[in-house]
Amino acid sequence: MTAPPNDCLARNEWICGAYLTSRRQILLDAVGQHLRLTAVSVLVGLVIAVPLAVLARRRRWSAAPVLGVTTILYTIPSLAMFSLLLPLYGLSATLVVAGLVLYSLTLLVRNILAGLRAVPEETRQAARGLGYGPIRLLLTVELPLALPAAMAGLRIATVSAVSLVTVGAIVGFGGLGNLIYAGMNTYFKAQVLTASVLCVLIAVAADLLLLGVQRLLTPWTRAARA
Amino acid sequence: MRLRTAAGAVLLTLAACTTGPSLENRGAVTAPPGDSRHLTIGSAGFTESDLLAQMYAQLLNQAGYKTSLITVANRELYEPALESGQIDVVPEYAATFADWLNAKTNGPDAPPVGSPDLATTMRALRRLATPRGLTVLDPGRAVDQNAFAVTAAYARQHHLRTLSDLGASGLKVRLAAGDECVQRPYCEPGLKKVYGIDITGIDPKGVGTTQAKRAVQSGQDQMVLTTTTDATLDQFGLVLLADDRHLQNADYVVPVVNRARAGSERVIKTLGKLNEVLTTADLASMNQQVDSWRRLAQDVAGTCLRDKGLLK
Repeated sequence: MTAPPNDCLARNEWICGAYLTSRRQILLDAVGQHLRLTAVSVLVGLVIAVPLAVLARRRRWSAAPVLGVTTILYTIPSLAMFSLLLPLYGLSATLVVAGLVLYSLTLLVRNILAGLRAVPEETRQAARGLGYGPIRLLLTVELPLALPAAMAGLRIATVSAVSLVTVGAIVGFGGLGNLIYAGMNTYFKAQVLTASVLCVLIAVAADLLLLGVQRLLTPWTRAARA
Repeated sequence: MRLRTAAGAVLLTLAACTTGPSLENRGAVTAPPGDSRHLTIGSAGFTESDLLAQMYAQLLNQAGYKTSLITVANRELYEPALESGQIDVVPEYAATFADWLNAKTNGPDAPPVGSPDLATTMRALRRLATPRGLTVLDPGRAVDQNAFAVTAAYARQHHLRTLSDLGASGLKVRLAAGDECVQRPYCEPGLKKVYGIDITGIDPKGVGTTQAKRAVQSGQDQMVLTTTTDATLDQFGLVLLADDRHLQNADYVVPVVNRARAGSERVIKTLGKLNEVLTTADLASMNQQVDSWRRLAQDVAGTCLRDKGLLK
């Protein structure tokens, strides 16, 4: 057997340039997969959460079951969640997305509903007095006023999705989680650290991006503060 | 690889009631051997499995197949996918896989079918795998089975080369192993009955973990349970004692394929060429390059295939 090479990979150092150069493509692919899984699941979650929150706001009787069911979904351990969904979706990225969508619902529905409930009754009555129908009231008055709370929920849901994607590694679709999981098995310090740091960077970047979007969408909140 | 099945126990209980061959995929089970152009190779996520999957993929690529790799950490998840054709080829271990299929088919309390005898194990494995639409290829020379190691100094001092030597020496031995060692026939009961080794206790530090090897190195324990493809023994000053009375199950490396998608003569021939030349020492060396030197499994697998003249 030949002698072991003497580089930072063989020495198992936490920070290792050779790791970055030899795994460049692998890291890029993992980041790409991580971003896709996060973005798709949060967007799908949003598309489902908005109608659910509106329903819970309009029909008082539906609030308790909607909140109850989405909260219970959040308590299912992720390993169990993927196993339960496996027969439906097979081993695929869709399986991971479906799990993440279900998890994101709790945070999104709760926050959007809180935002809708915070719309002052006088404002709604004023809009009705101006001849606004229910649809126009929702789209041009209630939803915009609910935006700050809804965006707060969206930011939490996104950051939580970034970290939950890693669990997808058990079915081979975990983005950076695939690398973290493989690295933990072999005490590969550079791989675990690099992939974890990239995860944190993605979470921070996504949060800042959404914060920027929120400020663009709700200019009035800044004007009031100034 | 045996530890990992324990990690999947939760999944097993959840997935067991929803998987397995059903009326809907009866067609796939009885279908003739197929030859799909695109093959998905599964890896169970640990180094040796990754390496074997990489070698299978590179050989099949050369034979004209398009291949993709998927890593699925638990047998409870990848075996159903192999039956349904989402995964087409998986590297497996004959006795372990036979026992796993046996437990899945006949319940967890069924008597084990894996045995130290390769032919018996292969017969049992094929009997269980064939009705599920799986073809088990012929086993090669590489074996990843349980093995016992002591420090080189200890072996020299007491003139030990085999487990029989250790039994004959009458030495008191504390064994670093998984806590399941107390019950498993290949472990404590077998060492006592077959070899007459005086096991005074089991130190539950896991199978072949760094802590377990350190415990033996420091003299806290005398012997450690590990596997035959462990290439880090040198680092800890450990040597294997030969299993001269064949206590260990025949965990030969066998490729398992989905018959309807990858059961063709060409696939069997392509993978068979590797099985004929790949040895246990090759696996150990490759494991070391990936685990200790942190080379890429893809590169290590490719180099091995080129060295063997299988890849151009």
